[in-house]
Amino acid sequence: MSGNRAAARISLASLRAHKRRFVGTFFAVLLGVAFLGGTLVMGDTLRASFDTMFGNATSGTDAVVRSADAITTPDDGAGSREPVATSLARDLKRVDGVAAAEPSIQGAGQLVGKDGDAVGGQGPPTLAGNWITDEELGAYQLADGRAPRAPGEAVINRGAAKTGDLDIGDSTVLRTPQPVKIKIVGIATFGGEDGMGQVTFTGLTQEDAERYLTAKPGQAASIQVRAGPDVSQDELVKRLEPVLPGGIEAITGQESAEENLDQISGAFLTMFTALLLVFAGVALLVATFSIHNTFAIVVAQRTRENALLRALGAARRQVMAGALTEAAVVGVAASLAGLLGGIGLAAGLQALFRAVGFPFPEGDLVISALSLLLPLVVGVVVCMGSALAPALRAGRTAPLAALRETAVDHSGASRARTLTGAVLGAVGVGVTVLGVLADTPSVMLTAIGSVLTLAAFVVVGPVASSLAVRALSGPLGSLRGVTGALAGRNALRSPKRTAATATALMIGVSVVSLFTVFAASLKATMNETVSRTFAGDVAVSVPAFGGGGSGLSPGLAPALDKLPQVDTALGLGRGVAKVDGSGRQLTVTDPAALSGVLNLGDVEGNFTGLGKSGIAVSASEAAKHHWRLGSTTQLTFTDGQRQSFTVRAVYEEKDLAGEYIITREAWAPHRAQDADSLVAVSFKDDEAASDGKEAVEKVAMNWGNPEVQTRDEWAESSAGGIDMMLTLVYALLALAVLIALLGIANTLTLAVHERTRELGLLRAVGQTQAQLRAMVRWESVLVAAFGTLGGLGLGGFLGWALVKAAVNSGDGAFALPPQQLAVVGLVGVAAGALAAWRPARRAARLDVLRAIATE
Amino acid sequence: MTTLPTPAGSTAHTVPDGTNYAAQVVDAVKVYGAGATEVRALDGVSVGFPVGQFTAIMGPSGSGKSTLMHCAAGLDTLTSGSAFIADTELSALDDRRLTLLRRERVGFVFQAFNLLPTLTVAENISLPLDLAGQRADPDWLESLIDVVGLGGRLRHRPSELSGGQQQRVAVARALASRPDVVFADEPTGNLDSRSGEEVLGLLGRAVRTMARTVVMVTHDPVAAAHADEVIMLADGRLVDRMPNPTAERVLDRLKAFDRSTEAARAVAS
Repeated sequence: MSGNRAAARISLASLRAHKRRFVGTFFAVLLGVAFLGGTLVMGDTLRASFDTMFGNATSGTDAVVRSADAITTPDDGAGSREPVATSLARDLKRVDGVAAAEPSIQGAGQLVGKDGDAVGGQGPPTLAGNWITDEELGAYQLADGRAPRAPGEAVINRGAAKTGDLDIGDSTVLRTPQPVKIKIVGIATFGGEDGMGQVTFTGLTQEDAERYLTAKPGQAASIQVRAGPDVSQDELVKRLEPVLPGGIEAITGQESAEENLDQISGAFLTMFTALLLVFAGVALLVATFSIHNTFAIVVAQRTRENALLRALGAARRQVMAGALTEAAVVGVAASLAGLLGGIGLAAGLQALFRAVGFPFPEGDLVISALSLLLPLVVGVVVCMGSALAPALRAGRTAPLAALRETAVDHSGASRARTLTGAVLGAVGVGVTVLGVLADTPSVMLTAIGSVLTLAAFVVVGPVASSLAVRALSGPLGSLRGVTGALAGRNALRSPKRTAATATALMIGVSVVSLFTVFAASLKATMNETVSRTFAGDVAVSVPAFGGGGSGLSPGLAPALDKLPQVDTALGLGRGVAKVDGSGRQLTVTDPAALSGVLNLGDVEGNFTGLGKSGIAVSASEAAKHHWRLGSTTQLTFTDGQRQSFTVRAVYEEKDLAGEYIITREAWAPHRAQDADSLVAVSFKDDEAASDGKEAVEKVAMNWGNPEVQTRDEWAESSAGGIDMMLTLVYALLALAVLIALLGIANTLTLAVHERTRELGLLRAVGQTQAQLRAMVRWESVLVAAFGTLGGLGLGGFLGWALVKAAVNSGDGAFALPPQQLAVVGLVGVAAGALAAWRPARRAARLDVLRAIATE
Repeated sequence: MTTLPTPAGSTAHTVPDGTNYAAQVVDAVKVYGAGATEVRALDGVSVGFPVGQFTAIMGPSGSGKSTLMHCAAGLDTLTSGSAFIADTELSALDDRRLTLLRRERVGFVFQAFNLLPTLTVAENISLPLDLAGQRADPDWLESLIDVVGLGGRLRHRPSELSGGQQQRVAVARALASRPDVVFADEPTGNLDSRSGEEVLGLLGRAVRTMARTVVMVTHDPVAAAHADEVIMLADGRLVDRMPNPTAERVLDRLKAFDRSTEAARAVAS
C-alpha cells in the first residue's frame, strides 16, 4: 500500500510540475462532459417544464370524449380520428357530476400578420378552433380582452400576437385555408405561457369554427368535460361511459394531457436529446484519441524518469499506477469542471432560447442524479481508458532505458499493422458495399461496415500518415523551402503520433462530410424527383416542412384555371383512409387532368372515369397487394364508413402523386377540413409562360398569398429544411472539431518541448522566429491536412453508402457537393494552422542559449 | 550577402596597430542574477579575434569562457560593453537582425547535438544557406565536403554517423556560408582523441587554407595547441594570452594559474 502511495505522490508531483502538458486533455474532457451533462440537464428541464405547462393548461379538463379509433399513417404518428357530434355535449351535460361539457373543434388556421406575412408555418402547427367558453375547461385562458361572441371575432394566443404584431381591435385574415376575415377581440395564454411552444392558436365562435374548420357543421374533434365538485376524473369517466354511443370513448383529462405531451413534446424532445447525445458521443470519441495521444507522448518523454524509478526498485505495477493516477486526477478534475460547465450550458441555452423567441416554458433547472453521475463516470472512464495503454507501456519500461538517450516512439509502419489494416479495411468496405448492393439494401450491414472501415482507418493510420505526409510535404518543400521540408520531416518523425493526432480530426471531419454528402444527396434526390415527375410550369405550394400552415384553398385551382395563360391548374389535396386495414395517405384530385401537370411514368389503365368508386394506385403498392386493373379493395374513412374501390389505373411515378389517388367526388362525403397541398399549373405555350407566373401570383394574392414558384425554385425550396438541419448539425460538430484542434495543439506543444535542443540549434544557425513559427505551423497544417483528407474520403464513402442503403431502396441520387466539401477541407486545414498558433509562439520565444544548454 | 548596418561612429574593428578583427568585445560585462546572488560572469573583458587566426579560449570552469563566446557570437547579450562581428555592433540589433547575422556571418560548432536528426548530411551542411533561401555555391560545397571527407555519406542521417563524423559535418555546416568567424564550443568534448584530432585538424585547415577565422572554447590543452593563440580567462577576466601554444606550455601555464588562483583565494579568505 505504502508503495502505491509513493507512486501516487510521484505522479501528483509530476502533474504539478507539468500542468501545461495536461491543459489540452483537461479541456478535451471538460468540453465533452459539459456537452453531455448540458444535454441531459436541458432534456430533463424541458421535459419537466412542458409537463408543468400542459398540466396547468389542461388542469380544468377532467375527461375527454372522442371516437375510439384512430387511423394512423406512416407519416403521421398522432393519427386522424372520426369526429363526434357536437350535440353529444348536450347529453353529457345532463350526466350527474358533470359541471361543464363543450365540443372542441380543431383545424388548421394560419394567421396573417400586420405586415401581410403569414405567422409561423415553418415547423410547429398553426391551429384554429372554437373558443371554449367555460373558463376552466379550455386549454387557453383569456389574458386580455374578451371571448369571441359575434361571427368574425377571434381570440389569438399571445405568442402569435407578438410575432404577427397584432393586437386587440386589429382586423386580419385567417387562412383555413379559405381566407376568413377576423377581428381580434382577445389575447390568450396557454398554461400561463405565451403559447404552447411555437404553436399558434386562433379561437373562433363555435359557429365559425364549424363553418370553416369542419366539412359538415355539427361535428367536433372531441368533447371536453369538467367534473363537478367531489367527482374524481376516474369517477367521471365511469359515469360518462353508459351514455356514450358506440365507437365513442371517454378518457380522463390526465390521460389526454399525457397523450398530448407525448405527441408534441415527448417525441420532439426525445429526438432532440438523442441527436445531442450522438454528438456528445462523437465529441467524446474524438476526445479519446486526443487524450490517448497526450498520455502516450508524456509517457514516452518520461521514459528515463520511469526507468530510473524502475532501477531504484519500483515495481511495474507502481509505475503503471502512477501513470493511471495522473489520468484519474485529470479525469476527475476535468469531469467535475465539465459538469459545472454543462449545468451552466443548460441554463445559458434556456435563456438563449427565450431570447431568440423560442418560447420554451420557464422553469427551474432539473438536475437528476443520472445527469450528474453519467457525465462524471463517462469523463473519468474516457480519460482513464485512454491512458490505459500508455500506462501499461510505462510499466513495461526497462530499467536500462535510464541509461539510453530518450527514445521517442518511431514505430508505426510495421508489416503486421499494414496487413491488419488492409484486411480490416477490405472487410469493412466489403460489408459496407454489400449492405448497399444487396437486393434489399441494409442500413444495418452498412453501419457495421462503416464501423469496421473506421477501425481500419485507425489501424492503418500510421502507415497512411507516412505516405500522405510524404506526398503532401513534397510540394511544400519546393514551395516553402527548408522551412517546409523541416515541417514535413517533423510530421514524419512519429507516424503513430501523427496518425493519432490526425485521427481525432479525421473523425470530426468525416462526420461533417458524411452529413454534407447525405444532405446534398437528399437535395439532389428531391431535385431529381421534381424534374422527373413535375410536368407543370409553376407550383403553388404550402411550406414543405413541418406541420404548420393550413394548406391551399380548394378555390385556388379553379380560379387559376380561368387565366388565359393557363392550360391546366390542378389542385392536389390529401386524405387519409385505412386501406386493407392499415392507414394510408390518399391524394385527392381530378385524376383526368393529372397527366397535364405530373409525369406519372408508365400508366396502365385509365385515369378518366374513376368516379366515386375508382382508385388509382402506384405500381409498387399494386405489386405489394397483388392488385391488377379491376381488383377491388376496401377503404375505411375517418368517419367510419367503408367503401369498396376498384383499381382503374396503375402508375409508376409516386413521388409527387402519392401511392393512392381518388377523385374529389369520392372523397367529398368523408372529408374533414378542405385543403389542397399543391396546385400544379402548366401554361398553354412559351409565350403564355413569360407572363404566366406573374398572373398566377396576382390571383394567388387573393387566396392567402401562397408561394408561387417555377419548377426550379420549387425543387430548391423543397430542400430548404435540409439546409436548416445541416446548419444545426454543423454547429454541434464544431465541438468535436474544436476538441480535435486542442489535441493537435497539445501534441505540438509536447513535440516542441521534446525538440527544445533542436529548435535552439536551428535558431543558433540562423532560423528566424518567423521561420520557426512557420515550421511549427506547417507541421500542424500537414497533420491537419492528412486528417481532413482522410475524413473527407471516409465521410464521402460512408455518405454514399448511407444514401444508397437508406434512401428509397437504392434509388436515391448520390451527390458530392464539391464547393461545400472544399469549404470543409479548407476549414480543417485552416484549423490546423490555428491550432499551431500558441505552440508556435512558445517555440519561437525559446531562449536560444537555454535550448542549447538543455541537458 | 546582406550587409548589416554599421552603427555610426563605430571604428572598433580596427585598433591603432591596424589589426583587422573578425570578432571583438570591448569592456564586456555580463552579470547574472542580482543582489546577493549576483554573479559577474564577465568582468570587463576586452579582446579581439583577428581575421584569419585560430584562437582558443581557456580557463577553469566558471571562468566565463563560454559566456564570452556566447556574447561575442550574438547568442547572448552583454550587460554592458560592446560586442562586434567585424564592424557590426551587436547590441544595436534586434532579434531578427541578430538571427540574420548569425546565419550569414557566424558559424557554430557545439559540443553535442549539432545536427538536425531529420535532415541528411548534405541538408545539414547547407542548412544556414537554405534558411537564408540562398543557393549554395556548388564548388564551395564540394570542396568543403572533400575537406571533411564525408563524400560517400551525404544522404545518410546523423544517427547513422559516428560522433567524430557528426562533428566533421558540423564543421562543414559552420563553414558553408563562408562566415566571418566560426565559434566552436568544446567541439571535441564528446570525442575520443583520434576523432578529436580530425575535427581540430579540420578547424586548423579552415583557417590556414580557407582563410577563415575560428574561435574555440576548450579545456583540453592538446586541443588548444592547434590554435594560433590561447587566451586565458579566470573569474570573468582576461588573465593571459599565449601565442603559438604547445600542449606542454598550456598545461604548465594552467597549473601555475591554478596555483596562483588558489593562493589568491587563500589570501582572500
